[in-house]
Amino acid sequence: MSKPLRIALTKGRLEKDTVNLLEKSGFDCTAVRDKGRKLILPIKNANIEVVLAKANDVITYVEHGVCDMGVVGKDTIIEMSGKFFELVDLGFGRCKFALAAKKGADFYEGYGVKTIATKYPNVARNFFESKGMDIDIVKIEGSVELAPLLELSNGIVDIVETGTTLKENGLEVIEDIISISARLIVNTVSLKLRQKEIEDLISIIEENLK
Amino acid sequence: MRSNDLITPEGTKDLLFEECIIRQSIENKIHKIFNGRGYYELITPSIEFYDVFNHSSTYFPQEKLFKLTDCKGRLLVLRPDNTIPIARIVATRLKDTPLPMRLYYNQCVFNMAPSLKGKSAQIVQTGIELIGSSSKMADLEVISTAIEVLESCSSNSFSLEIGDIRFFHELVNKLDANDEQKEIIRNYIENKNYPALNDYLDSIGKNDITHALKKLPRLFGGEEVFEKASKLFSDEKIDAILANLKDLYNDISQIIGNGNLTVDLGMVNRTDYYTGIIIKGYLEGYGEEVLSGGRYDKLISDFGYDVPATGFAVNVDAVTKVEMKHNPVEAFDVNTIVYSEPGYEMKALKIAEELRKEHKKVEISLFDSIEETKKYSEEKNIENIISVGETVTEVK
Repeated sequence: MSKPLRIALTKGRLEKDTVNLLEKSGFDCTAVRDKGRKLILPIKNANIEVVLAKANDVITYVEHGVCDMGVVGKDTIIEMSGKFFELVDLGFGRCKFALAAKKGADFYEGYGVKTIATKYPNVARNFFESKGMDIDIVKIEGSVELAPLLELSNGIVDIVETGTTLKENGLEVIEDIISISARLIVNTVSLKLRQKEIEDLISIIEENLK
Repeated sequence: MRSNDLITPEGTKDLLFEECIIRQSIENKIHKIFNGRGYYELITPSIEFYDVFNHSSTYFPQEKLFKLTDCKGRLLVLRPDNTIPIARIVATRLKDTPLPMRLYYNQCVFNMAPSLKGKSAQIVQTGIELIGSSSKMADLEVISTAIEVLESCSSNSFSLEIGDIRFFHELVNKLDANDEQKEIIRNYIENKNYPALNDYLDSIGKNDITHALKKLPRLFGGEEVFEKASKLFSDEKIDAILANLKDLYNDISQIIGNGNLTVDLGMVNRTDYYTGIIIKGYLEGYGEEVLSGGRYDKLISDFGYDVPATGFAVNVDAVTKVEMKHNPVEAFDVNTIVYSEPGYEMKALKIAEELRKEHKKVEISLFDSIEETKKYSEEKNIENIISVGETVTEVK
C-alpha cells in the first residue's frame, strides 16, 4: 500500500467538527476519538492518517508537504498566509474578524494615530492599510478585550463569534472585517502527485457537507 | 550589543561534507546534460542594480529583496532571479551573436525568506535559456531537457506538468474588469481557492467567461483536461492555444519515460514573466516544485532587444535535500594512512603519491608515533596503515 494520505487537523473545536464530518463521510475515526496523548492517528478503513496540531502548525506542516492536507480556520490562513491550495470551505467554525472599541466611543474621531491591540497583527495591519490609516499595533496573547479597558489601546481586532464577551466587557463591534470558516487546504505538490486520492476524498467530503 | 558571530543569518546555512558531495554530483550530472546539448555557462554578478529587476513584465516585491547601495547611493540588490540578468546580457553584450543561443547558469538566487518558516533565503539554481526561437521544436528541446534532468538527478519518481498562461490571459481579458480585479482573480486561481473565486466572480457577473474562470483552477490532471477545457469556452484563439498544448502533451508523453506527465491550465503565478507554455517539475518527497520554467517572449525586450526565449531552472538545493534522504553518501572514505618514521618524510610522501595512483584515498599521518596513528585510524575507520622507515610495512 502506498504512503497514507496525511491530514492535519486543528486541535479543539475544529477537530471535533472535522471528525464528525469524516465519520458522516464513512471514515472510521475511533482512533482519533480515543487518541489519548497520541498525535498521529490512523483512520482504520482508509489509507489516511490524521495529525493533530495547533492551527498555525497545520499551515506549516501542509506548506512543507509533510502533511498532504489540513483543516484550518480562515483566520489562521489570513494571518499566516503561505503557499498552498485552499480547496474547500467546510462551512463550520463560522465567526468573523471585527474591529471593536468601547461602547459609545467614536473610534474614528480625530486624526491621532490609533492604537490597536490584537492577536492578529497582519489582519489588523492589512485592514487599516486598506483604509489608508497608520496605526500602532500591540500584540496581545491572552484576552484582547482587556487592552481597551485598561486604556492600552483605542480598539481591538479580534475574532467575534456571538459578541457576548464584547458586550460583557462594555465593548461593541465598530466594523466587520471579514467572515471566517474552516477551510480544507492542500499542499501544492501533493495535489498534483496524489490527485486522484485527494479529489476522491474531497468529493466524498463535499457530498457530506450538504 | 549582542554579537552574532557564531551563527549564520536566518534562511542561510553552511553545507558540510555529504551535502557538498551530493550537490556537486547533482550539478555535474545536470551540466553534462546541458553541455551535451550545446548549452554554455554564464556567470553573472551576485549584486545587480535594482533597476534590472524593476521592469513592467516582472514582479519582485520590495520586501523580498536584499538591498544594498553602491558608492554613489544607487540601489543594488542581491539577484532574486537568474533569468533576468541573462536577459540583460543577451540584450547587451550578446546582441549581435547569431541566434539561437543556448546558455546555462549555476548560481544562487536570494529572496528574503519569511521569518521562522524553515525556508531558504539563498537557493542554488541551475538552468538553461534557449534564446531566439519561438518554434515548437524549441519548446520540445527545453521540455525534453527538463525531463532528462529530472530523471537523472534523483531516483525518486518525478512528475512534469505543463500549462499555457495564454489560456488564462485570453479568458480574463474578455472579462469586463480592471487590472486590480484581474489580479484578485489570478491570485484565487493560483491558490486554487475555489470558494473565494466563486464568490468573487459571482460579484462581477454571471456569464460564460466567469463560468469558465471558475472552473479554471480545476483544470489539471491527465489528457482528459483538454476535453474539459474545450467545453468551457471556445473561440479561435483559445482553441488554438489548447490544440497547441495538446499537441505538445502528446509529443512529450512519448518521451516522459518513467515519469508522470500532467497538465494544469490553472498555473498562473504572479512572479512569472511567462508568455506561453509553462512547465513545472515535482519530485516525490519534496513539498514544492523542484523545477520551473517556460516561454518568456517579452522579457528580453524590456532591455531593448525583441527576441523570443524559453528555459527552466532547477532548485539544486531541493534535489540535494531529497537525495540526502534517499541516497545518502559517506563523506569520510579515506582507506589508507601513511606514517613516516622520523627522517623518512619525503619517502612517505612519495609512497602516498604512488598509492593514490592506484586510486586509493591516502592520508598522511601527522602523529609522532605509530601507536597514535593506529588509534586515530581506528576512530576514523581507516583500514590500511602503511609505516614508512628503512622498509615499508603494512601495519596490522
